[in-house]
Amino acid sequence: MALLPLSGTFIGDVTTVGIVVDDQDTAEVVGQKIAHHSVGRRVAASSAPIRVRLGGRVLEQDEIIGQAGAAPYDHVEAFFDE
Amino acid sequence: MPKLSRSDWYDLSRDTNWNLRYVTEEDAFPEQLSGTHRVGKQAWEAWDEPYKVSYREYVHNQVTKDTTTYSLKNAISRSKVFEQLDPGWKSVILAHYGAITMPEYLASIGEARMGRFGRAAAWRNTATFGTLDEVRHGQIQAFFPYGLLPKEPRGDWALKAFHTNNWIILAVRHLFDDMFVANDALSVAIQLTFTLETGFTNLQFLGMAADAIDVGDLEFGALISSIQTDEARHAQQGEPTIKVLIDNGHKEYGQFLIDHMFWRSWRAFALLTGLSMDYYTPLEARKMSFKEFIQDWVVKQFAEQFRDYGLDFPWYWDEFINELDWYHHAIHTIIWNYRPSVWWNPDAGVSPAEREWLEEKYPGWNRVFGKHWDVLTQNVRDGKLAETYPETLPVACNICQLPVVRAAGLLVGANTDPAPPRYEHEGRVYQFCSEPCKWIFTQRPDRFAGHKSITDRLWTGDIQPPNIGGLLAYMGLSEPEQGTDADNYAWAYGTTANGKR
Repeated sequence: MALLPLSGTFIGDVTTVGIVVDDQDTAEVVGQKIAHHSVGRRVAASSAPIRVRLGGRVLEQDEIIGQAGAAPYDHVEAFFDE
Repeated sequence: MPKLSRSDWYDLSRDTNWNLRYVTEEDAFPEQLSGTHRVGKQAWEAWDEPYKVSYREYVHNQVTKDTTTYSLKNAISRSKVFEQLDPGWKSVILAHYGAITMPEYLASIGEARMGRFGRAAAWRNTATFGTLDEVRHGQIQAFFPYGLLPKEPRGDWALKAFHTNNWIILAVRHLFDDMFVANDALSVAIQLTFTLETGFTNLQFLGMAADAIDVGDLEFGALISSIQTDEARHAQQGEPTIKVLIDNGHKEYGQFLIDHMFWRSWRAFALLTGLSMDYYTPLEARKMSFKEFIQDWVVKQFAEQFRDYGLDFPWYWDEFINELDWYHHAIHTIIWNYRPSVWWNPDAGVSPAEREWLEEKYPGWNRVFGKHWDVLTQNVRDGKLAETYPETLPVACNICQLPVVRAAGLLVGANTDPAPPRYEHEGRVYQFCSEPCKWIFTQRPDRFAGHKSITDRLWTGDIQPPNIGGLLAYMGLSEPEQGTDADNYAWAYGTTANGKR
């Protein structure tokens, strides 16, 4: 377990934020951590599931972010899967 | 004794030069400080400023300007004018004083560098007046907000701001260190006086003075007018410098310096002037949108004046024009969200009437940016103010130091990837808001490497505790200094601070 600093964008928002996740977090958790700074704040809430994209690939919800190839300061997108 | 007319003695007196015998030209004008050695010594003698002034005339003019401006200030300071100003306009002047006062003073270093290391005697003469101008601008813009202290204690950010690690100041300081504090004489002439002053601020100061008068701020209007007339004179150093460079076969280098600084100037302008014109200035006093201002003044100026010299539009011109529609709107949303982290009170500027104006000036604004303000408005109405404040930092660009807002570009189709462009240099990854900022870094990485953006400082443990409280303390903001909504959220209920719907 190690802290992993990432830049995260929630699609629909205006900016990219700096977040720190655990490299053992699942994609689902990483998506929630990014959404925390956007959804209900500047992006309207939705009942759609939140998915995560890393390096152009949409991750499985239970995929471990550290094992998915994320390195420090990498960019991760989160989005509503509508 | 009969007085000679100026034209009889000016050139002789101005062009006094030394024949160096004890030192070499390189010793007297080291390239690192002068930057002029691409062109030979003789060629620099063609340098000629379009507008001439003698020292006697200079002093007379400055005394007259100071007398008028200080008298006006003394008269107005006894009135209730400041108290009656629109809250958004108060934010315009607070932001201006904090971000600009110290750079004006520091610009005297850039002018003095040209005054010592410029290769033409005429250039050094003009730059000496420029040095005096910038000292005056630093002093007068420190003194005027000092007079505001009993009414607005944050007037002291005119002096304090540059001694803090406030994120806006990190951006402004990085820009002006690059532009004139840590720059050679030739580059100062091209980048400060030609690109920024001729291209942007001389025009902006004209508009800003007029806006100040329109909103009833006679004091600030007089101050800015007084400064603008100096700027118009010393900004002319750029033209003869670029002309000498081009006439001697170095257009490409001049173009590089302009391309570098035009983009950086645009970024700073979008932040300071974009927000002021489109969100902070009261609706009834707005004569044009920020986009119209840039199109009518900056673009036209660049097209006519810069191209007269055979210069090209910067390679990123299309991207710059495209950004006029969206970049500063995204920055505004972020600055308002992070309002405790600035020393002025950001004006949301999104009452129903203001949104209508924004939609008219920027068709599609409601679709792209209005939906964010819909969420913010609902949170205010529901009493969920905590949801309108941030809990982490945006990623800041390693050149302009401003938040990366490529995500907003995605919403308007300006780009297809919100990820910040990256560049690895000596084992460290740098992140940028745009390709032009990345290009500026990669052209001369050693000039910029090592500097930490505000996000870098959070990530590497410089900011403790690593949360918003720690961040505000790191930025030098005590609670009374932190920005709040300028209109006390009246916009969320369909009105503005002065009650207009």
